[in-house]
Amino acid sequence: MRFQPYRHPKNILKRTSKSESTPTRMHRLREAGRCSSAAPSETSGSTSPERAADDDTDFFMAQANDSQSSIGVANFRDSRLSSEPSEPLPPIGRLPPEILIAIFSKLVAPLDMLNSMLVCRGWAANSVGILWHRPTCNTWANVRSVTTSLGKPDSLFNYADLIKRLNLSALSDDVSDGTILSFNQCKRIERLTLTSCKNLTDKGVSDLVEGNRHLQALDVSDLRHLTDHTLATVSRDCPRLQGLNITGCSKVTDDALLVVSQKCRQIKRLKLNGVSNVSDRAIQSFAENCPSILEIDLHDCKLVTSASVTPLLTTLRHLRELRLAHCTELDDSAFLSLPPQVTFDSLRILDLTACENVRDDSVERIVRAAPRLRNLVLAKCRFITDRSVMAICRLGKNLHYVHLGHCSNITDSAVINLVKSCNRIRYIDLACCNLLTDRSVQQLATLPKLRRIGLVKCQAITDQSILALARPKIGHHPSVSSLERVHLSYCVQLRMKGIHALLNSCPRLTHLSLTGVQEFLRENLTAFCREAPPEFTQQQRDVFCVFSGDGVKRLRDHLNRHEPQFQEEAEATMYDDDEELDEDEGQMTGLMNATVINDGDDDYIDVGPLNT
Amino acid sequence: MSSITLTSSDGVDISVERTTAERSVLIKNMLEDLGDSGEAIPIPNVNEAVLKKVIECDDDDNRRKTTDIDEWDQKFMQVDQEMLFEIILAANYLDIKALLDVGCKTVANMIKGKSPEEIRKTFNIQNDFTPEEEDQIRRENEWAEDR
Repeated sequence: MRFQPYRHPKNILKRTSKSESTPTRMHRLREAGRCSSAAPSETSGSTSPERAADDDTDFFMAQANDSQSSIGVANFRDSRLSSEPSEPLPPIGRLPPEILIAIFSKLVAPLDMLNSMLVCRGWAANSVGILWHRPTCNTWANVRSVTTSLGKPDSLFNYADLIKRLNLSALSDDVSDGTILSFNQCKRIERLTLTSCKNLTDKGVSDLVEGNRHLQALDVSDLRHLTDHTLATVSRDCPRLQGLNITGCSKVTDDALLVVSQKCRQIKRLKLNGVSNVSDRAIQSFAENCPSILEIDLHDCKLVTSASVTPLLTTLRHLRELRLAHCTELDDSAFLSLPPQVTFDSLRILDLTACENVRDDSVERIVRAAPRLRNLVLAKCRFITDRSVMAICRLGKNLHYVHLGHCSNITDSAVINLVKSCNRIRYIDLACCNLLTDRSVQQLATLPKLRRIGLVKCQAITDQSILALARPKIGHHPSVSSLERVHLSYCVQLRMKGIHALLNSCPRLTHLSLTGVQEFLRENLTAFCREAPPEFTQQQRDVFCVFSGDGVKRLRDHLNRHEPQFQEEAEATMYDDDEELDEDEGQMTGLMNATVINDGDDDYIDVGPLNT
Repeated sequence: MSSITLTSSDGVDISVERTTAERSVLIKNMLEDLGDSGEAIPIPNVNEAVLKKVIECDDDDNRRKTTDIDEWDQKFMQVDQEMLFEIILAANYLDIKALLDVGCKTVANMIKGKSPEEIRKTFNIQNDFTPEEEDQIRRENEWAEDR
């Protein structure tokens, strides 16, 4: 953030002359709001508030720096509107508006912003833009208050122009076309988030977006009524669009997306999950026309074939994240036809879940072409073998996250090599790799940064594995386990001893799943379990056993009280938080948040037939 | 470790390590433009007291990586308001982002949780609203009172 150089603070905190009549002054306040937001170049671009901490949690918000929205500034800098102060300024009066705005941007609670607005006219003008930047619309009462002010012709400020972010997802089903009608005059919205407002139709969304040339991010995931009509409006009116999430808008067709790709050429993030009509034609057009694309998610776009993937990789030089889960038409030709010698150094995340026809040849080619891959998801690519794993070894320390669930050909020797080559792995899933034995897990246990491990249905593993995971890692300081989430459902040989040791040596553990492991299906233990999902059958409930959050702690306490014979000597509960941070850690978290990967995913075995 | 000389607005020469001075983007750019002539660099907008204070902070700049104001910052910012705003203005002028950030957070912390009247008292600001205007602001921003 860079501010204007120091300037004489002539124009702030001035008092209006006593003779002035109230209506005129109100008029001026409103005018001030208007005039500066109409000419925002001086401050708005450079004083974007840093409000990441409490920000909306939609898909686009998780991104760090690009497409930050600007703040609406309303102040009295127009000299016609000012008069010289009649008494000396207090010290704070020396701060120019840019700095006041920077200060107000540090406030988090809307109430603090409102109280600042009420201090004096100067503060009102400089804080109103921050307060209205993202009005809180999490309850009906708030939405009513916001829309009432928007609708007032004689309001003190022109609030409609100050709204830069609007998020109605908290009200989901209750939002109708009528609700958003009140926001139609807000044509400066930069981020519009309507996630799961299922009752909205083309009419509502299209009218809201119409004429808004500032829109940068649109999230309409799960608005199943939307059709090409809304996207036509977006293509026509929103040339600055950078993020588009139309997950689940299954009525949208290739034709509309083709036009989006031609008109919204600044697109960076594109999520088309489950838009089943989208085909190679539209995707190839995005590859051709939108060189800024960083992330593209085509989860379950069944018509997409290898003919899309090759151009996406070869023409989008900034592509960081490519998600192709369940694009079942993909085969080896997607990767084998990549030009030799060319590498894709930007690519960090590749998800090929359930792309069964992607086999060892592809994986070898991918690793050679994208040496900086950090997340590689090959779950359910069930034909891959140790050859693929040996290729993945070449990613070395770049690899942080690898999912090989249901790749049941994989053997111990491949896993052992993987651990030796890629010792920065934080997340590994090997669910249903049922050739694996304790030898694999003993090696995995040496990973110094391992946070999540998924071994669901690795039925050969025993307490030897769990005791290895529980053992402090030699040569690693602090010598305390970094494990947070451990998935061991249907590892039927596990006993109390191993798990008890694991609990006592992993102070950061927040998730432990033991569904279907007989030893733990006792009432005195399942008391600490979380509830089975409501859609589970009785049969599924009978074996459900997942400890999370506080449940882990309570299970540990319970075992320590009642089963002390298992307690390990090397008890380690203190740990050092000053662990070195990896260069990209922050960015990584951002990316992960922005994706569909969530805690539910790695438990897909636990939840039985739902996701299979 | 080479040092350079800065001349404050009230004409006092202050010697400072080059690496410290270069935390200021303004000074860094000036040094790049001027080359290493060894001449004193005039800082016409910042007086000696403030400049010394700013340099004191810069010495420890590498410690401020966290987002919250830590203990050290809090102690550093325990100055009277006049000095606090001078530091903020100097940080802005000299373009030292980290210091500007801490300064703004310090002022924001002085605002948090206070009523408008308490804020006015804290900063000695005169209320120039009419009661009607105050009322209107409250009404039009009712949603912001929701916790």
